[in-house]
Amino acid sequence: MAKTIAQEFKKGLWDEIPPFRLVLGLCPTLAVTTSAENGIGMGLATTFVLVCSNMLVSVLRGIIPSKIRVPCFIIIIATFVIMVELLMQAFTYGLFLNLGIFIPLIVVNCIVLGRAEAFASKNKFLPSLADGLGIGVGYTLSLGVLGSIRESLGSGTIFGNAVFGPNFQPFEFMVQAPGAFMALGLLLCIMNILGKK
Amino acid sequence: MREMVKMVITLTILAAFSGGLLAAVKTSTSDRIEQAVLEYVQGPAILSIMSDVSNDPLADRFTLEIDGTDVDFFVGKKNGAPELVAFETKASGYGGDIGVMVGVKIDTGEIYGIDVTTHSETPGVGARAETDIRFKTSFVGIPIIDEEKIQIGDDGGDIAAIGGATVTSRAVSLAVRRAGKIFEQHKSEIKKEVDTFSG
Amino acid sequence: MGDFTVLIISSIFINNIILAQYLGACPFVGTSKKMETAVGMAGAVVFVLTMAGMITWIINTYFLVQLNIEFLRTIAFIMVIASLVQFVEMFLKKSIPALYAGLGIFLPLITTNCAVMGVCLLNVQDELTFLQAIITSAAYAVGFGVALVLFAGVRERINLGRVPSPLRDTSIGLVTAGMLAMAFIGFRGMV
Repeated sequence: MAKTIAQEFKKGLWDEIPPFRLVLGLCPTLAVTTSAENGIGMGLATTFVLVCSNMLVSVLRGIIPSKIRVPCFIIIIATFVIMVELLMQAFTYGLFLNLGIFIPLIVVNCIVLGRAEAFASKNKFLPSLADGLGIGVGYTLSLGVLGSIRESLGSGTIFGNAVFGPNFQPFEFMVQAPGAFMALGLLLCIMNILGKK
Repeated sequence: MREMVKMVITLTILAAFSGGLLAAVKTSTSDRIEQAVLEYVQGPAILSIMSDVSNDPLADRFTLEIDGTDVDFFVGKKNGAPELVAFETKASGYGGDIGVMVGVKIDTGEIYGIDVTTHSETPGVGARAETDIRFKTSFVGIPIIDEEKIQIGDDGGDIAAIGGATVTSRAVSLAVRRAGKIFEQHKSEIKKEVDTFSG
Repeated sequence: MGDFTVLIISSIFINNIILAQYLGACPFVGTSKKMETAVGMAGAVVFVLTMAGMITWIINTYFLVQLNIEFLRTIAFIMVIASLVQFVEMFLKKSIPALYAGLGIFLPLITTNCAVMGVCLLNVQDELTFLQAIITSAAYAVGFGVALVLFAGVRERINLGRVPSPLRDTSIGLVTAGMLAMAFIGFRGMV
């Protein structure tokens, strides 16, 4: 094995951090980052699906015939997505309402299918687990950061707590669609500058 | 041929496994989900309308079929006697459907209070329907079947429209008028059900 | 008829699938570098999305709801969309090779285009009738196409300019998309 398990985990946190280095999974990134809480909630839901599907795909990689592997992956992913949907409905209903159709849409999030196809179907159980966890945590971090930026500027709060004092006029542009695109674009630019060093 | 069989078998087993697993999760979470839906969607609205009742309106509820759909009715008691009933209606506003919970005094048919349950109105404009006290209290006391009065001031009614959000104000008024129709047409059934909660 | 006009206009402009509902952002960024690919992708989406909207509506109403297994919606829809894409690909390859040459390479990408899945889910969530579902799906798809082609036009121009290197490519693309979204906000209140 070329890389250790820890390395597989770490690469998701910077070298391949989605959605910046791995430009995938943009829709939820734009849609649910109106607040830090929503962003992190979405990130964790995606992480759960990513880790579970990576593990199962890796276990079954010898059994699944290669011709029908994509439909098989989709079934596996969809199963875990529905599971997350039900669990969130039961235990974190408020978050479930905020995220709306973006929870079932985890199923078409290219990150999940991408990792199953590119990594888990070729690697052993533990590296696949580490890979899923790393990418998932990286994604959660990105969504959390973007959510915090948009929430603090757009509503003057972070995790619902006021940060700028009573005189702050919320910059509502940031929590609407154009703000989403611009915030992500500029954050990507900052990442590019930092990455150059 | 053998490969074909293997493919079919793999897919079938996988699908069966997934179906079984999900059915199990579904059954074990369904009670919790029903409870959560009530608490989050309708709960806050009901409790804000019926803040001074002696029972738990979320627990004392019944369902009636109205125009082909099931509508939940929540009963509010004062001093042990059921006096209020609240139910939800919808009308389309500026950015989609607005859900309005309407509380009615059963004997007089007066509006006891209203609250917005779900909406997707513009933040800071139409979304104020949820928080604008003056708008919400202007419904209180009007007989729910009085379609003339349940209109915003510009349309000749008694409702104090939210500044800058005429469309939203009209939509909420429309939802309340719809509630009035339901109350008028199903009055006897509602009363009969409510009476089962007395004592 | 008036209702349908409102539905079409609001689906294309006001609730534009990418710029207001954030669905389909991946292909929006991925296939908008050249006008040619943008037009190809737009065509493929219009085609598949309309059909998917129709079929998933039927499956949902006559199968999932009847059997009371709506919680399996996600898995049912994704399987339908994946098979549909495969089927359309095979059909076009055999019957209309000219069209296949234009759309072919974009078809596999559509399976993971969340605009398709998203619209199917929205149709169900909004409890539309069959006719409304078809019209909405088609209108959303046209909205996707309009936004994508407009965006590609702008992006081709931007690539000719001298953009500071950290902003290049996706970064400036997203900022541009933000401005386009701002323009689309202007359509609100039209209906």
